Amino acid sequence: MRKQQSLLVLIAVLLLAAIVVLVQVPIRLGLDLEGGSQLTIQVQPTEEIQTITSREMEAVLTVIRNRVDGLGVSEPQVQTVGEDRISVQLPGVNNPEQAERVLGGTAQLEFREETKNPEVRAQLRVRQEELLELLQKQEQLELEGTSEQQREIRQAIAAKEEQIRELNARLYEKVGLTGKNLEDANVASTPLEGIWSVTIDFDREGGDKFAELTKRIAGTGRRLGIFLDGELISDPGVGAEYAETGITGGGARIDGQFTLERANTLATQLRAGALPVPIEIVENRTVGATLGRDSIRSSIYAGLGGLVLVLGFMVVYYRLPGIIADVSLAIYAVLTLSCYALLGVTLTLPGIAGFILSIGMAVDANVLIFERTREELRSGKTLYRSVESGFYRAFSSILDSNVTTLIACLALFWFGAGLVKGFAVTLAIGVGVSMFTAITCSRTLLFYVLTLPDLKKPELFCPNLANN
Amino acid sequence: MKLSVTQQRNFWWSLSIALAAIGTIAMAISFGQFGAPIPLGLDFAGGTRLQLERDCSIPDNCAAPIDVSVAREVMTSQGLGNNVQVIGENQQGLLVRTGDLGVEQRSRLQDALETEIGQFDPEKLQIDTVGPTIGRRLLRAGLASLVAASVGIVLYLSLRFQFDYAVFAIVALLHDVWITVGLFSLLGLVSSFEADSLFVVALLTIIGFSVNDTVVIYDRVREILKLKPEWEINEVVDEAVNQTLTRSINTTATTLLPLVAIFIFGGETLKYFALALSIGFALGAYSSIFIASAALALWRSSRPQPVEAVTVSETPTSKEERS
Repeated sequence: MRKQQSLLVLIAVLLLAAIVVLVQVPIRLGLDLEGGSQLTIQVQPTEEIQTITSREMEAVLTVIRNRVDGLGVSEPQVQTVGEDRISVQLPGVNNPEQAERVLGGTAQLEFREETKNPEVRAQLRVRQEELLELLQKQEQLELEGTSEQQREIRQAIAAKEEQIRELNARLYEKVGLTGKNLEDANVASTPLEGIWSVTIDFDREGGDKFAELTKRIAGTGRRLGIFLDGELISDPGVGAEYAETGITGGGARIDGQFTLERANTLATQLRAGALPVPIEIVENRTVGATLGRDSIRSSIYAGLGGLVLVLGFMVVYYRLPGIIADVSLAIYAVLTLSCYALLGVTLTLPGIAGFILSIGMAVDANVLIFERTREELRSGKTLYRSVESGFYRAFSSILDSNVTTLIACLALFWFGAGLVKGFAVTLAIGVGVSMFTAITCSRTLLFYVLTLPDLKKPELFCPNLANN
Repeated sequence: MKLSVTQQRNFWWSLSIALAAIGTIAMAISFGQFGAPIPLGLDFAGGTRLQLERDCSIPDNCAAPIDVSVAREVMTSQGLGNNVQVIGENQQGLLVRTGDLGVEQRSRLQDALETEIGQFDPEKLQIDTVGPTIGRRLLRAGLASLVAASVGIVLYLSLRFQFDYAVFAIVALLHDVWITVGLFSLLGLVSSFEADSLFVVALLTIIGFSVNDTVVIYDRVREILKLKPEWEINEVVDEAVNQTLTRSINTTATTLLPLVAIFIFGGETLKYFALALSIGFALGAYSSIFIASAALALWRSSRPQPVEAVTVSETPTSKEERS
């Protein structure tokens, strides 16, 4: 009895915790429900780079992140899938054309020369200050602004960045020195602690071009613009001491008072530009926002309607235990959903199907137990003993059937991708939780009910008992 | 009422064989027509599917149903075939299927359709493009997971029961998967059904549930064998099936309720998924009784002293006592 009570308390605490979790942590909805674009990008090997290693992937990932940031989408996700693919999720994007164009090309790294154009330079400085102000304002709005304000500031920032991009394009001119000529880029330490620099190495042709370029701008105050995908990523100046010969020898060092992190980013960006691995968008799944909502709504209503029928059936057929099964199914649903929220499971349409199926498994466990209880009752055992052996003897069936389902989930999870994985995860979590609720919850509640004299009647468990 | 599966075996097996044969014929025809036992959808074959719907908030935009010949003309003029359908209750939507389109080709098509047909609602747009390599990869992954799941389940059942139990459980699940695929192959021949990733998911779930049902009966067979070692295996199996029959019916009914509801009232995306699961689960309950159990009884009764062999291996202590 003591144990019974502490289990009741445990269930109550878990339920409460789960409700708190559900209120605090929203369940993430997949793009097929929320609307948005999911793109899969394939990195392709070339003659020079025949196998894609993690070094190449890291470089490409940096490029893709850069480009995605430039799109101004809120909460995008970029991650590697398998060995040579990258998945990009853009919530809320209805029209992915722009994203596809931006993301699909090979990285373009260019070294450009600043032209003599003080007017543009001055304009650029003003724009950059404006951008800085906007960014500060955004930081503030992130904390206290409405989502409407936040969206406005994001748009303003994107517009400002576009202006700066245009000005940069006018200010710098191409000199034919590109990522093709760059062999490597690395982070290097400096004598000063915490300050890092980035070294770059060109091939022979690149070294010559670089020397010419640096000779022209050395000491003039004009800068060297390094562009990745048309975006200025660094603009070092060249000291007057190189005015005679330029920087020769095919190598150079960019000193910029960099932190290690900043230096790393720059080096990876440069390497990305040096690696001409072609990338291709091999998959595009786009669902318009309202379309996603419509499809979720009708399926969820239908599924819920079916579930209500199931709950009704349980009460009509199994009487008192049926009511208890329904209560533990409700607990089951709350616990499972809060597990999804806690584990950060993204709920997709197949994921919802997995959830509904796992409810089926939970119902099955209850059916097994109650059928068993009835058999024991009919064979003349007392109510208490029947319930007890009902749980005890149904256990091995429940265990076996859940393990086989978990094996199927595991296979899906290992081999599957995207949507299939979502289904496997929700079903597996559901099966795990259902083992707990069907056995512990139903059992505890049922034994608790058996302590109430009014409810301790075999007829409530098995109708027509006398006839059998 | 008492069901005797061991005596009605021939009737039920002929039924299963007939169903499987129909499925096989459908798959063969389908193979001739599409090069695969079941028409492969975009996920596996690769290609582009566009679902567009007119924006009805613009006045006069949705005045008349979309004329499919206009859309067809646009597509043929761009050399993209003519696979286009008008969809939706008020015939305001378009479903376009083409080969794998790049972004430029696709926007050209979208723009041309928009000029001819009217403004589309970007919120109701759906684009699916799958490259041929990724399609093959998805197909391979799907088949690999089917095989892996089956192997894993055989191993687990051999461990928990015995090898021959596991084999008949697999026979039953192959029966379910084969007939489900066969029926959908038939569906593919008479309607526009195509197998996608969700179909593979459905097959895997069917495997899991089919084995579930079988395991519950096997569990009971094992238990009765322990209690009544003197019984004939045929008797044991019949008894086990009957004792678990209510459970089989109730569980199948309760699982089918939400699925049938989704099939009838649910969104387009999950319709065939729910149908496949419904068929598969019904077959799973059926095959666990009439295939897995009945075959186990036949196999064991045709071999000498099978009953004892079970009790021995299930209770190691009794083995020691004997020796």
